[in-house]
Amino acid sequence: MAREFEHAVEEQAKLWSGVGPPNSASGEFARGLAEVAKGFERTRGELVFEDEPSSFEAALREIKERAP
Amino acid sequence: MTSSAARSSALTHLTLVQASDAVRKGEVTSLSLTEAALDAFVAADRTINASITLDREEALEAAEGLDRLRKAGRLLGVLHGVPLAHKDMYYRSGKLCTCGSKIRGSFRPTYTATAIRRLEDAGSVTVGTLNMAEFAQNPTGHNAHFGDCHNPWHIDYCTGGSSSGSGAAVAARLIYGALGSDTGGSIRLPATMCGITGIKGTQTRVSRFGAMPLSFSADNVGPLARTARDCARLLSVIAGYDPNDPTSSTEPVPDYEAALDGDIRGLVIGVPTNFFVDGVDPEVQEAFDTAMKVLEGRGAKTLRLELPHMDAVNTYASVLSRVEGATVHAQWMREQPQDYSIHLGARLYAGYAIPAVHYLEALSRRGPILRAFGKDVFDKCHIFATPTIRMKVPTRAATDIDAGAPGAAEAFSAISANTRAINYLGLPSVSVPCGIDCDGLPIGFQIQGRPFSEAKILKVADAHQRDTGWHELLPQMVGDTGPSPQ
Repeated sequence: MAREFEHAVEEQAKLWSGVGPPNSASGEFARGLAEVAKGFERTRGELVFEDEPSSFEAALREIKERAP
Repeated sequence: MTSSAARSSALTHLTLVQASDAVRKGEVTSLSLTEAALDAFVAADRTINASITLDREEALEAAEGLDRLRKAGRLLGVLHGVPLAHKDMYYRSGKLCTCGSKIRGSFRPTYTATAIRRLEDAGSVTVGTLNMAEFAQNPTGHNAHFGDCHNPWHIDYCTGGSSSGSGAAVAARLIYGALGSDTGGSIRLPATMCGITGIKGTQTRVSRFGAMPLSFSADNVGPLARTARDCARLLSVIAGYDPNDPTSSTEPVPDYEAALDGDIRGLVIGVPTNFFVDGVDPEVQEAFDTAMKVLEGRGAKTLRLELPHMDAVNTYASVLSRVEGATVHAQWMREQPQDYSIHLGARLYAGYAIPAVHYLEALSRRGPILRAFGKDVFDKCHIFATPTIRMKVPTRAATDIDAGAPGAAEAFSAISANTRAINYLGLPSVSVPCGIDCDGLPIGFQIQGRPFSEAKILKVADAHQRDTGWHELLPQMVGDTGPSPQ
């Protein structure tokens, strides 16, 4: 699985951004995305239709500290 | 030690607030403080490598001007005459700003960061710029271009990053305070590892205009200093809306220092039972537990509770800055990848393959998860506290990816696990020293509150410092550590 990520990262980075592996440590960081992908697999179903990025600023104001 | 050296040492050992008050009362001059700071940098930099540039002549000239103003009965602000130095990523018009990199080795911006301008408008003297992780992107303080910054408690150990020079310079008593930046812990990690205090405000609390961009979702500008009171003073100057940064908040800035009265009776402190304590080192846990007892001794209550959505927070937090960082570095990654250090080039590279749908999921879930924290955490407790890092301070050798240290990439991620989760949530967070480990390196804990509760978390940090002396201990390279603070 981790090796598949190494190849996938190489293809995606080149195809979409024109960026190649810069050095010998690149493969290790690419393989590390396998754990990130597992994390996203565990979050499946949590995002709902109405969720969108600006809700963060709204939430900051909504739950902010109130003067006593 | 000569009498002159002893006097300089006495000056640099003042806290920022003490130094500021001494100038205001006419007990010391800005010139003497600034000369002492510059001399301290020259003497210590061979060992700890904390600075990148020192502007001696300009700083002394500015200090003399501030002394003339004071003699004429005019004070610019609450930092009148106080020398400061900042992470080398804050733009000052016409001044070299390397961002800790080879790529920006000759970059001279044409405008000045709002945070720097506000500090100087309040009377501070900028003496130079400080070492940092390349483009603010590692948690250890390694720098392949300017040399690693060394921890003044033991030079073989990490300073923490990315604000490595800010942490080391304040801890070594070279400067009274410094700006750092915090995208995944870059203020709180060096504050913890160097035994000082550092705060990142609520996301949007401080203008980022003129600060080197890394991750627009999670970048924060904030101070590192010896004490919570010092940080309160610096934050009071830099916080607040800035029309040059439309993302900065219009929330009023309270008087942070006025809140520091030591009275935390009845305050309920949440102590997480999940995520933040996973695999925590026993020495770190013991120091954290003792810190909670100190706060209970002042009348606070602790409440153990499980924090919601932490698995998702950890996942989402791991992609925001990677994707946004990869985006802003794309052209240099195509054209001159050889000019990045090994670890940074490799880290950025992986960011180009994270799917946009996952990046947007991380952004879109931020609001709902923060609301869940409001209900499930802050409706039950006023603040929550955790160890800032779960492990003891690691050595530079053990975390040196560029040298091929085994397991170093995993260590990078582990160091910032507790801090970057807070950046994802956008909460204010202050790191406070609370112990010394068996290797002689500092331990710290971090305090979080509701959005815009900086006054409250600083109040708790100050309360802890009223009853302990961890923030007063001197690194061995500076002097004797003295008796145990508790």
